[in-house]
Amino acid sequence: MFENTLDNYAHSNNLRDANVNFKVLFAIMTLIVSLISTSPVIPLIITILMSYLIIFPAKIPWKFYLKFLSIPFIFGFLTFVYMSFFFGTGPDIFNSGIFNLSVTVDGFNTGLLVFARMMGGFTCMAFLALTTPMTELFSVLESFKIPKIIIELAMMMYRYIFLFIDEGINMYHAQQTRLGYHNLRSSYKSMGMLASNLFIRTWIKGEQAYISMESRGYNGSLYIHNYQNSIETKNLVLLLCFEALLVLGVYLSGNFSVF
Amino acid sequence: MHIMEGMLPGLWPLFWYMVSLPVVVYGVIRIKKITEEHPESKPLLAVSGAFVFVLSSLKMPSFTGSCSHPTGNGLAAVLFGPAVASVLAAIVLLFQALLLAHGGISTLGANIFSMGIVGPLCAWLIYKGIQQMGWSPSLGIFLAAAAGDLLTYVTTATQLALAFPLPTFTASFTNFMTIFAVTQIPLAIGEGLLTVVIFEYIMKLRPDILEKLNVIGPKIKESVKAVA
Repeated sequence: MFENTLDNYAHSNNLRDANVNFKVLFAIMTLIVSLISTSPVIPLIITILMSYLIIFPAKIPWKFYLKFLSIPFIFGFLTFVYMSFFFGTGPDIFNSGIFNLSVTVDGFNTGLLVFARMMGGFTCMAFLALTTPMTELFSVLESFKIPKIIIELAMMMYRYIFLFIDEGINMYHAQQTRLGYHNLRSSYKSMGMLASNLFIRTWIKGEQAYISMESRGYNGSLYIHNYQNSIETKNLVLLLCFEALLVLGVYLSGNFSVF
Repeated sequence: MHIMEGMLPGLWPLFWYMVSLPVVVYGVIRIKKITEEHPESKPLLAVSGAFVFVLSSLKMPSFTGSCSHPTGNGLAAVLFGPAVASVLAAIVLLFQALLLAHGGISTLGANIFSMGIVGPLCAWLIYKGIQQMGWSPSLGIFLAAAAGDLLTYVTTATQLALAFPLPTFTASFTNFMTIFAVTQIPLAIGEGLLTVVIFEYIMKLRPDILEKLNVIGPKIKESVKAVA
C-alpha cells in the first residue's frame, strides 16, 4: 500500500557526503540541457550517464533502481506509441491496415523526443532524490530566498509524513484483519474511516506539537541549522565544462532523426 | 494526474512556473498573516499538509477495478480556502516528486497550476456556492471534490495540448481529453464519494474542528449537536 520511499536510500548512499550545492546544481543544469534538446540523442546520453552515477558511484541497488525506472519507462513508452500514431501529418513509415492507423515520420520523431526527454529528466531527478536527504535540500532552498515560513512548514510536514504513514499502515492492517476491504462498499467505508480518523489524529498531534514547542520557548519561528559549504572552484569549472559539452552536443545533434 | 518530469518541452516549464508563482506568493502572504495572528496555526497547517500527502498516497478503490490515488485537493480547499491550499499543494507536490517520483522538478509549476490552483479554486467556489444556496454540505463536498478532481485532469489535458499542438491545438486537445479527462470521470466520482465519507466522519466525531475552520455554518452545527 505505501511503497518504500526513496528516503532510506537518500540517507545511506555513497554520494551522500558529496557537496549538496554541487549535486543540486549538477542535477538541475543537466535537467535543463535535457529539456532544451531538440534531438533524442543528448537526453538518452544523459539517461545512461545518470543511471551509471546512481548505480555505481552512489551504489544504489540496481534491482531497486530498475524497478523504480520502470514507472517512467512504461509511461514514456506508451506516450511514444500513442504520439507516433496520432500526432503526425507527414509521410507514413508503417501502415497497420486496421482503421487506417499509421505511424508518420514527424509523429514518430516527436514521440521519440518526448520519450528521451522524459527518461533524461527523470534520471536527473532520480539522481537528486536518491543521493540527497531532504533536510539538506531545505538548506539549499533557503539560499534560493524561499520564504522562511515555507521552509519551516515543509520541514514540519516532512517530519509528520512518516509518522502518519506508520499510523495509516497500522489502521489499514487493523481494518483488513476485520474484513474491512472485502468489497467495494466496505472499502469506501473503511477508507473514509481511515482518512477521517487520520485527519483527527493529525489535528490532535498538531495541537500537541504547538503546546510542546511553546513550553520549550517557541516564539513563532524555528531555527534551521545551515550546513552548506560552497563548491570548490575546480569542481565548478569542471561542472561548467561538462554542461558546455552537453550543450555543444545538443547543437551538433540538432537535426538528427531516425527517419 | 501528474505531468511527468521532462514531458513539457522548451520554455513551457518556465511559463507555468510564472503563472503559478503569483497565486502561491499570495498564499504565502495569507499564511504569514494567519500564523502571525495565531501562532498555534503553524503546526496545524504543517500536519494538515502532511495529511494531504498521506491522503494522496492512499490507493483508492475504483469502479474500473484498477486503483487510483485521490488528489485530496478538494478536501484541502474546502478546509483551508484556495490560497492556503495552493501553498500546501506546492509543498506536497515537491515532496511527491522527491520522495515518490510522482511528477517532477521542471513540471512542478504546471502541476501546481492544475492540482494546486485550478482544482482547489473550483472546488472551493462550488462548495461556497452550494453553502449559499443552503443545500446539504455533503452534496456540496461531493460536487466540490469530484469537480475539483475532474478539472485538474482537464487542465492537465489543456497543458499537454498547448505543449504539443500537433497537428493542430484542437485535434491534440481532443486526443488528450479522451485519455486524461474522459477516462478519469469514474475516478473523480470515486474521489467525491470518498471525500463525503471522510467529511461526514469528521463532522460526527470532531465538528469543532470544522467550526473553527469556518467550513460549516452555525445552523448545521446545531443539527450536528442534536444528532450527537
